[in-house]
Amino acid sequence: MPEVIELMSGLGMVVIAAPILLVFFLGICSLLDRRLTEATIVKSIQAAIVVGLLAALGVLILMLAQDTRHVVVEVGEWVKMAGFHVTVKFVFDRLSVPFAILSFIVSGTIASFATRYMHRERGYNRFFVLYAVFLAGMIVASLAGTIETLFLGWELVGLSSALLVAFYQDRLGPSRNGLWIWCVYRVSDAALLLAAVVLHHMTGEGDFDQLLGAGPWPEGQASASGAQAFIVGILLLIAAAGKSGLIPFSGWLPRAMEGPTPSSAIFYGALSVHLGAYLLLRVSPLLECSLWLGAVIVVLGLSTAVLAYLIGSVQTDIKAALSFASLSQVGIIVAEIGLGFRYLALVHLLGHACLRTLQFVRASSLLHDYHALENAIGKHLPHAPFFPLRWVGTFTRASIYRLALDRGCLDSWLKMCIVAPFVRLFLWCDARERGWTDFLTGAQSRESSEVKPIPTGIEELT
Amino acid sequence: MSASEAASEPLSHGTTPPASEARQSRLAHLKEVIERAAHLLPSQGPITVFIHHNTLHAFEDLPFDDAVQKGAQIFGCHPYLTEDRYRQELVRGRIRFADLWEVLREDLGAAAEEKILGLCSRLALRLTMLQYPLHSGPTEELVWYVAETDALRRVRSGVSSAVREQMIAETRHWVLRDLRNSGKDSKANRSRREAFRFPTVLRSIFDRLDESTIESWSEAEWEEFTLRALWGVCCQGVANTPSFAPTTPSSIRHRDLLLAATGTDADLLVHDELIRFCAAFVDQGLARWPLPRRDDGFFRAFSALYGQPGGQPARWLRDVGKELRRLEGEAVPPLESIHESLEILGVPKSEWYDYLAATLLALRGWAGMIRQMELRGDRVAHPAPKGSLLEYVAVRLILDRFALAETARQTLDFTKPLRDLRDEAGKRLNLSYPPAVEPRAFLVFQLAQVFGWTPERLVRLHEQEWKTLLREIETFSTWERRRIFHRAYERCLCTRALDAIAAHAARPVMPAARPRFQAIFCIDEREESFRRHLEEVADDVETESVAGFFHIAMYYRGAADAYFIPLCPVVIRPQQWVAEQVATDWQEEFQRRARTRRLLGTVLHQIHVGTRTFASGALLTGSLGVLASFPLVARILFPRLTARIRQLFGGFVRTPPQTRLQLERGDKTAGPDDGLGFNVDEMTDGAEKLLRDLGLTSGFSRLVLLIGHGSESLNNPYNSAYNCGACGGAAGGPNARAMASILNTLGVRERLAQRGLLLPEDTVFVGGCHNTCTDTVLFFDEDRIPSSHREDFAAAQANLETACERNAHERCRRFLAAPLSLSFSAARHHVEERAEDLGQTRPECGHASNALCIVGRRRTTRGLFLDRRAFLTSYDPAQDDAEHTILTRVLQAVFPVCAGINLEYYFSYVDNTGWGSGTKLPHNIAALVGVMDGAASDLRTGLPLQMVEIHEPVRLLNIIETTPEAMLTVLARDESISRLCRNGWVRLAVLHPTTRQLSIYQNGRFQDYQPQTATLPVAASSADWYRGWRDHLEFAHIESRETIGAGGEEQGHA
Repeated sequence: MPEVIELMSGLGMVVIAAPILLVFFLGICSLLDRRLTEATIVKSIQAAIVVGLLAALGVLILMLAQDTRHVVVEVGEWVKMAGFHVTVKFVFDRLSVPFAILSFIVSGTIASFATRYMHRERGYNRFFVLYAVFLAGMIVASLAGTIETLFLGWELVGLSSALLVAFYQDRLGPSRNGLWIWCVYRVSDAALLLAAVVLHHMTGEGDFDQLLGAGPWPEGQASASGAQAFIVGILLLIAAAGKSGLIPFSGWLPRAMEGPTPSSAIFYGALSVHLGAYLLLRVSPLLECSLWLGAVIVVLGLSTAVLAYLIGSVQTDIKAALSFASLSQVGIIVAEIGLGFRYLALVHLLGHACLRTLQFVRASSLLHDYHALENAIGKHLPHAPFFPLRWVGTFTRASIYRLALDRGCLDSWLKMCIVAPFVRLFLWCDARERGWTDFLTGAQSRESSEVKPIPTGIEELT
Repeated sequence: MSASEAASEPLSHGTTPPASEARQSRLAHLKEVIERAAHLLPSQGPITVFIHHNTLHAFEDLPFDDAVQKGAQIFGCHPYLTEDRYRQELVRGRIRFADLWEVLREDLGAAAEEKILGLCSRLALRLTMLQYPLHSGPTEELVWYVAETDALRRVRSGVSSAVREQMIAETRHWVLRDLRNSGKDSKANRSRREAFRFPTVLRSIFDRLDESTIESWSEAEWEEFTLRALWGVCCQGVANTPSFAPTTPSSIRHRDLLLAATGTDADLLVHDELIRFCAAFVDQGLARWPLPRRDDGFFRAFSALYGQPGGQPARWLRDVGKELRRLEGEAVPPLESIHESLEILGVPKSEWYDYLAATLLALRGWAGMIRQMELRGDRVAHPAPKGSLLEYVAVRLILDRFALAETARQTLDFTKPLRDLRDEAGKRLNLSYPPAVEPRAFLVFQLAQVFGWTPERLVRLHEQEWKTLLREIETFSTWERRRIFHRAYERCLCTRALDAIAAHAARPVMPAARPRFQAIFCIDEREESFRRHLEEVADDVETESVAGFFHIAMYYRGAADAYFIPLCPVVIRPQQWVAEQVATDWQEEFQRRARTRRLLGTVLHQIHVGTRTFASGALLTGSLGVLASFPLVARILFPRLTARIRQLFGGFVRTPPQTRLQLERGDKTAGPDDGLGFNVDEMTDGAEKLLRDLGLTSGFSRLVLLIGHGSESLNNPYNSAYNCGACGGAAGGPNARAMASILNTLGVRERLAQRGLLLPEDTVFVGGCHNTCTDTVLFFDEDRIPSSHREDFAAAQANLETACERNAHERCRRFLAAPLSLSFSAARHHVEERAEDLGQTRPECGHASNALCIVGRRRTTRGLFLDRRAFLTSYDPAQDDAEHTILTRVLQAVFPVCAGINLEYYFSYVDNTGWGSGTKLPHNIAALVGVMDGAASDLRTGLPLQMVEIHEPVRLLNIIETTPEAMLTVLARDESISRLCRNGWVRLAVLHPTTRQLSIYQNGRFQDYQPQTATLPVAASSADWYRGWRDHLEFAHIESRETIGAGGEEQGHA
């Protein structure tokens, strides 16, 4: 049945091409300073998502009809040397197809939401350009068949997320928090890149099927040794932890709530936060090679879940409460992956994404909903009993409360143990450099450091 | 002593040595200072009970302009729109040049024509400064600007070519004739040169432009020379003159000075902690785990939490912990701690007020909310204990101290006591900023070009003259310019409105027959269009309006509600309780449904909480999660359809249709359990007030509809702000329903008759509620309408239905997302969808664009297109007594409410990020009392951008149909109304009931107004007038041919 296979790869190409074309359309128009009207933007997004979704569904139906479980779409080999090659390749299997369909459905719905929500906002165009970049990144990452391709999508998702968090760039908070997230993402990207390098070193290529065995997901048998699997696995775990906000990176998740509601919904409720878990699912055959690796993942997942649960229960704003609730479930999903329950994790992931998106989108209805619930129940909403803490002493409770209110102090520790030494090191280098340049020029070599910030009084506000 | 032991002891009974009397009085003074400063905090309560109020309520005893400028300085916001914005309006024609001229003349009085150094008159100078944008900026920017742009090569745009050429020609003559010749010696010349103070600045220009070829300089070179000379002369002239610009008071907080000196903000550290803690303290039930020891108050809850060892590793927070433990050990009460902090910070007693006010305003939303929860504990589920705000200040100052020390140490290497920090930072600040010359010179430079002042003329000015010139220019600062602009902006609308009223009121009114039915609405300006459409649809109908609580002040609980809520203006505390009860036949059904509702509610709540917890979350998201995709997709893509389906299913658990209000209490005392309802006297009093206020004492029709209003929309934290303000931010349906029932009660009618109010036997009252978002009207107790009136009611309902559609249509012209070509029914469809759409940030326009308040008989305004901009209140001067009791009562209700709405919109519009709450999109509901921007910010007060977008910020113009004398009596009697008018927070005019002469209130008396036009445009129907327009519209007569025909017939009958 070569025609069917061809049809499937054709449809596969459409799935990937639709969001990428959207990026080019919106992006190029913005670069050329062609102001698109709201209606045009809406239509182009609708078209891209409907076409992409239909193609993805087509692939799914054909796969079911043909009982194929593994369709590969190759977009050429980019580097080829003896024992080493870099390929751009997309894989449609039981893992990637549901995730891609989820991405399309959630993004499509949220896009429809956002077109009305963002109506008349100054950054309308910018929002949807970044949105298109995100969607393209998401689809590329979810269908990636090689680690390089995955990295590409991963980067696009990270870039657009950070920029959307800093969407309100004229306020300090969003810029600060956007930067923090960007830094966390860089750490996670670096880990992923290192993993890619190690992988190439091990097998000469970044293709998942080489690493994870040729069988369709999730039945592959990884061929790596325990130590190799552990190293690659840990690097991937760091990458996943950064993206999914696992310990110690959990602090960025509430910070991401600076953007408009639809971006919070789609990034942190539904898709982006699950991308780390998805990466682990993708390489799950590898996890079987090393018991230690599995154990580390389970421990990290569970501790994140517990911590996020504790933090979530003291949050007093709806978006932070929802984001920690999200994190708690992501932690459990990661733990499930570590334990080897792959289908369970996948179903959990899909269900959680849908439910949380709905909750995020309805976040502003909270007052309305509480009022309706109170009327239905007939009294003030009861505080849910907090049973694990019922037995500990007041003093311990207060400490735990403080820990939860401080969001686990994770950011403070990161600042103190990683950021501060890092900054100190570079300031030291800077001081040495300036010492040298001053010495060589025989005078103050850097005028810029003399310029002071300019205070502007109220008179200048015009 | 362990921390917990110390805390369990009351702090004030600690081990402090007996304080001396002086110290006690000092502390008492401190407490009083804090209370005074707290008045500056926003007085917005929880967002669920949104009451519009004047944002600058604390300044109401000052005249408007002084107040907004003072407020702007204290709060760091704009007092008026930006100059650019006003200039745009000038170009657009919204501000007329004639108005600007007139306003300026009025403002200057006799000083207008004074000459300034023989250069121009003061009036001309100011007009020019208004018309031409004067750019300015920091010195660095200006230096760059003149160096890198054409500023010194081309005369600025907008200057007429005649002025430009003359300026260049004169300069050329001057240079060739005087200056260059003077170079060629001769004693006389040299002395002349001395006399002119030959500007050395010109030397460098000659060097630059190559003096040797001066004879062959091109026009462009002469232009450049002129401008460079001008710039040089201006800089030189300005250099030694003191500044006349209004000075901004120097920053008082350590943080401000440190920020200015180093660019590092110590408040960032403080706010990170404080916002989280405040939210936990204020929280009304969002967090599952409430703040431990919250009931002990802010200070002790804070020290219990932050005083314990552990916590964040940041050094300054560890120091805070140490300090808190010390305070707890020594049992220092909050007030003492504030005193101590102020001493450590080196703030002398004379600065207390300013320092503490600035400190409170640094996080004004949260501080304001704590104060509100303390003052109005009845409006929240978990009120704050007394003294919370004071404790907040104590905590804040402790955090401030350590954050300042940390920041100063890091940025300035400053380790001395904090009391020296302000001096140190101030010193650094002065070092880096020498007094600026260029920004001031640039103002003169720009004006000189517009007026064609040549360098020669300016160079002759001696020091004293420069002083005069600069004083003239600089005292007309940007705020002054905007003040004048704003007056002109208001004046245009004011003239139009008064002309329209004068023209409309002058028309003959025909005597009316008994109307088919009467409908009584709220005074809300959104009902203006609804009433107009209803009158157009059915011209034999009368509409009236009264404050939407219909003189029923009550605590109300619906059959399906959990608690009583107050339904009355916020200043009244109700004395009666009313509950909705289910008819006996339906009791069983009701109980069943209530049980189902409770079950469903509990399950939903469990799910809601469950998805956010650990194990049940996993279970729920894993199993049910995917199902959430159905509501997700359906509600977002098909909001209206989904809503219909939800309603269909909701029908099974809703309250049964047959309910009654328990209104008659008999002799029992009023109370929420046993004493529900009113006694007959109370009912009669309310009914009498209502009818007399309306002036509805005779001519009752067979059917009288009382229609309250409310608004319901999803995903909208500000929903309460769209509801009826007279009902305390809730829907006014129950009030209308209660009043209708009362008026139908036989006993009440008998008493009313004794008081001279005779209601015909065939008159039936029906209560209803108008949903201003979806434009639907719902009626109550329809089953009680006697069969004799069923037909009348059905006909009235049909009319209202048509009016609803048309009203929706008129509203749709304001929504960009609704095409202008919509039909009436499609428009209604559109507004219904808005209410149900989760992604809709503008469910309706609310009070936006309100500008007028007209108190008088409906026939004065009937048929006048007021574009949904006027609050309308019925009042019949002919029926008032000699003391004007009714007018006083009506105005006492109308003034604060309408002025509050209008001023809140004014401030939220002129500076949406400062006074308002900014764009709604990143809003995040916090603690169930308000919204924050994004992840963490101050609690945002005021209105969001999406609510005020189409507003025009003008002060409310009140037009009262009464005599000037009567109005003056009312003003003399009521201080709050008088204060608003006297200080110009609202504007006031009266329309004489008989002569129809309009008079405007100015400086304590009324002056006759002469209309500028006598005619108004005429349109056949409202739709004909507004169709195709999105923007604000002119006022017009609406005069359908049928009306004229019908009127003719009626007259014929008569």
